[in-house]
Amino acid sequence: MTFRTRLMLVFTVAVVAAVAVVELLVASRTREAFESVEAQRVRALVDQVHRDFARRGLEIVQAVEGIASSETAVSIAIAPDYGRFVDEAAAQSAAHGLDLLELVAGDGAIVSSAQWPARFAFKEDWLAGGGDWKARGAFLKREELPTGFVLALVAVSQTRAGDRTLYVAGGQQLDREFLSTLAMPAGMRVLLYRNLDAQFSPGEIIDASGPVAHAAALRPLIDQVRNSRREADSTLGSGAEAETLHALPLLGYENNLLGVLMFASSRRELVSLEASLLQTGIVVAAAGIVVGIGLSWWATARVTRPVRQLAESAGRVAAGNWGTTVEVSSADEIGQLARAFNRMTHELVAQRERLVQAERVAAWRELARRLAHELKNPLFPLQITVENMQRARERYPGQFDEVFREGTATLLAELDKLKQIVGRFSDFAKMPAPEMQPVDFNKLVSETMKLFDPQLAQARIAGRAELDPRLRPVQADQEQMTRVLRNLVLNAIDAMPQGGALTIRTMAMQTGALPAGVRMAVSDTGQGLTPEECARLFTPYYTTKTHGTGLGLAIVQSVVSDHHGRIWVESEPGKGASFWIELGSDGDR
Amino acid sequence: MPDLAAAFNIARWEAGRRAVYEANENSARGRPYLDSVDIQMGKPLHDQSIDLELGRADIVELGPSELLRQTAGRRVWSSSPVRVMALLFSPRFSARFEDARIREALALAVDRPAIHSVLMQRQGEVSGALLPQWISGYAFVFPTASDAARARTLLADLPQGQRTLSLGVEDAADRPIAERIALNARYAGLAVSVIPQAANADVRLVQARVGSADPARALASLAAAFGLPEPPHADSADGLEAAERALIEGFRVVPLIHLPDVYGVSPRVKGGPGITPLGEWHFENLWIAESRSGEGGRP
Repeated sequence: MTFRTRLMLVFTVAVVAAVAVVELLVASRTREAFESVEAQRVRALVDQVHRDFARRGLEIVQAVEGIASSETAVSIAIAPDYGRFVDEAAAQSAAHGLDLLELVAGDGAIVSSAQWPARFAFKEDWLAGGGDWKARGAFLKREELPTGFVLALVAVSQTRAGDRTLYVAGGQQLDREFLSTLAMPAGMRVLLYRNLDAQFSPGEIIDASGPVAHAAALRPLIDQVRNSRREADSTLGSGAEAETLHALPLLGYENNLLGVLMFASSRRELVSLEASLLQTGIVVAAAGIVVGIGLSWWATARVTRPVRQLAESAGRVAAGNWGTTVEVSSADEIGQLARAFNRMTHELVAQRERLVQAERVAAWRELARRLAHELKNPLFPLQITVENMQRARERYPGQFDEVFREGTATLLAELDKLKQIVGRFSDFAKMPAPEMQPVDFNKLVSETMKLFDPQLAQARIAGRAELDPRLRPVQADQEQMTRVLRNLVLNAIDAMPQGGALTIRTMAMQTGALPAGVRMAVSDTGQGLTPEECARLFTPYYTTKTHGTGLGLAIVQSVVSDHHGRIWVESEPGKGASFWIELGSDGDR
Repeated sequence: MPDLAAAFNIARWEAGRRAVYEANENSARGRPYLDSVDIQMGKPLHDQSIDLELGRADIVELGPSELLRQTAGRRVWSSSPVRVMALLFSPRFSARFEDARIREALALAVDRPAIHSVLMQRQGEVSGALLPQWISGYAFVFPTASDAARARTLLADLPQGQRTLSLGVEDAADRPIAERIALNARYAGLAVSVIPQAANADVRLVQARVGSADPARALASLAAAFGLPEPPHADSADGLEAAERALIEGFRVVPLIHLPDVYGVSPRVKGGPGITPLGEWHFENLWIAESRSGEGGRP
């Protein structure tokens, strides 16, 4: 992955993350705002319901007081026999719009009951101990009917006639009809749990349309209110079907919990809003990502162009073009880097030139030393011979011819040696370009080993060839490679004056699935080389031996280099040495 | 109960709707004052009361509620208590629940005085006996007080399934009484539901008329009416009481109240009273103060 791609990825991720964070923040704030508004709305509803309860309570109080202050109530109160008024409550409740009405004598015995006519003469003892009913106003009460218990908003009033008292207890049921009269805004509904049994009863949960489906799900909230007798909130369901519920306890006149009123607010609107926000967020995010990618493309291009140029220049330097420079187009860090790069390549070129110059001087010195050394050997016999011939002519004229004949022969021999020396130097200078052809290195190695068999036997060296049968012919100059191999074998023989083992190995190099070159090693078991010797081994005219021109390995390296190959030596003192040559498909070039 | 045959002849009969009697010119006790008597049948008591108020009828039957609404000064004819209102367990129920504790519990639960004073407007007499006090003389010895606590004790060992029964009441006018009995039963631990189909009910609220002022004959007629075994003939009061006690011992029939026949009478009707203590009609000595077509005239 390129730097630019990574940079673009970073930019893109940053844009996406920023958009996601903004989206989350907006969604979170929206939810908070919605829930705040929702809480205000519920609070307003609770207040409204309280007012509604108060209004209903006032209406009930007025109705009950109206009955209690009527002539009928007075007549009943003073009647010697209440039996004839057994149906009076039903008539009065119908006339005053009450669901429940009981006319109760001062001793607590029911005179007439609208909701349960058969209960006449039963006792309602709670009326006598209720204190000031007028001050109490309307209150919630658990009322028993023939069909079961109901929850009712009730008021009590008294009719006094002389020493006779008649209680008038009337009210309205808190039922489905009652809930349907509470005005609820869209998306909200009101539910009532009538806490009429000791245990939670799902059937006692109703709303304006009747019994509530899935009422059992409300149990935790109702139990919470039943236990704490305080308002509580909860959310039921999930997604668009979820509802936020606010529950408030309904207490009776004895401060007993008679009901739980719940305001359910659908979260459909919030979910819809969140979905809309999410949709908008996705669109904005997609647009942001596209813009971000475009911007990051442009920005990364500006940032990475000089870096890429630097990388390309560094590559050219690595390839040997040390004089490469880059354009300095800015004064920022990239510009500083470019200037430093240019200084570095300038220094590299200067140092290389100085090194080349120094090496050239050293080479010339070495050449002079070697030439002097090589030429000195044959020159000394030449000088002796000529001096002998002069002395013989002056002192022994009779023997001069014989001395002259021997002397000229010696002179010619030494001149021949000089010629050979000059020829070798000339050969190194005139190394021809390789003539490439397919070369079977296994065969080449075999022939070389065979050629050196007598010499190896004389030097008590065991020769061995380990050849890779997979090796295919490699493009090379056969004559030059023969010379390379012979030089390395001679070098190995020289390294083992006490005898040893010589091993030549060939290995096929793989490029993908196909053999594409040869790796060859010439190993000896001689004294080995120090790291310093290894470093200078291929320098022309350098030798560790007392004889030789120091051109053998230099010629080997030159040939391998001309074949675009590679040569190196692995050695440790006392453990022999191995000369490795690699010729690859590059040899085709 | 019409008993006009001695002084009137039947002139027209529409079963269940109407009967018209005409004066018998040859009556042994002499021709009655009234030319004819037109009897409308099957009318609700409430409607009869309205007819009386509007002058469309001269004599109407009154129930407790109608009795309350009688205009001040209106004449009322009342017989002696001649009808016994009772709870009658059906043989089907008895077959289902042989245990008499349920029947006894229901008998103990009923608050007879409350029913009598409120729903019956104190008409008749509270009674635990089949025969009225005025016939037998010993009816007061049969207990009438309710005892819900004892009823609950009796039911304590019974499973809930056996504590449920239906109370049939065919006459809608008697439904408040049935509802009150159900309420009393509820507090005693019995779940009683009131149904209008008496035939399918476990227990029925029924009335039977005392057919005779003779105690033995009256008891026999009541036993027959309630489907009870015929009581043995008894010549003494003790024997009669024992026979009656034997009839109600198993609580298959639970007497509640003895009721009179009560009639509202228009001011136009003169003479009378037109009924006997047993509730029989004797209209031959009645006459109408103002002449009205089709209903008779001044003697």
